[in-house]
Amino acid sequence: MREGLLITLFMISLTSLCDTVNQLFLKSAIDSLNFGGKFNFIRIFKFIFQLLIKPRVWLSFVFSVISLCIWLLVLSRADLNFAFSADSMHYIFIALASRFILKEKFSCLRWIGTGLIVTGIVFVSLS
Amino acid sequence: MFKKKVTLKILLLLLASDVLETAIHFFFKKGALTRAEFSVFDLPSAFVFLQAVFSSPFLWAALLTVVAVFIIWSTILSRIDLSVAVPIASFSYILVPVVSVILLHEQISALRWTGILLILIGVILVSLSSKERTEQGK
Repeated sequence: MREGLLITLFMISLTSLCDTVNQLFLKSAIDSLNFGGKFNFIRIFKFIFQLLIKPRVWLSFVFSVISLCIWLLVLSRADLNFAFSADSMHYIFIALASRFILKEKFSCLRWIGTGLIVTGIVFVSLS
Repeated sequence: MFKKKVTLKILLLLLASDVLETAIHFFFKKGALTRAEFSVFDLPSAFVFLQAVFSSPFLWAALLTVVAVFIIWSTILSRIDLSVAVPIASFSYILVPVVSVILLHEQISALRWTGILLILIGVILVSLSSKERTEQGK
């Protein structure tokens, strides 16, 4: 049972990691387009088209498909309430990636929030 | 521009996104359960499992709901700030476990509810911190 829990947690970490990579690719593709100013349908349509011709967006899509497949395998072996709560560990990966890869600045509040999520996941996994 | 005025229409959209978000997870779980008796132990068996799940209507219902939530969520974010939207939308952190108990007959201990509550507060704090940054950046 313990071993099963570890494997499940490992698989949830994998989906969360894939989600994080997916977000990073998408974020870097969107940032490279420099989309700002007023929103209107033509501009949004153009923006989406420019996104879709970027290979990074397709890489991001591939990672989200991998993430979905692993997620379905997780759900076949774990309770939904456990898997759903533990999946919030993507907040931790995204926080680390934004801090160390995208070099974003973090407020104290964000660290406290991320710490609470970590504690929550430990509680959920122990029960 | 900092958009924070939550109107009744936006509140209803947020509520809809919460309910649909919960539906997505319920559908995925039901899809995965179509082959509950099947045990996955290596890559080939994982493919057999995924093939069965991808032919389940529940999975496609889930994916359709993902698209619906994406559209609703884009509408919400064009009206209000992310730091205002996320705390209201994180209601699904409670709704998914509640649905798990009622519809899937899962059991949740007091310790686990405590953990779920901590995660919920953490998510709200993380989203509030983005507002702090926006205000500092002005």
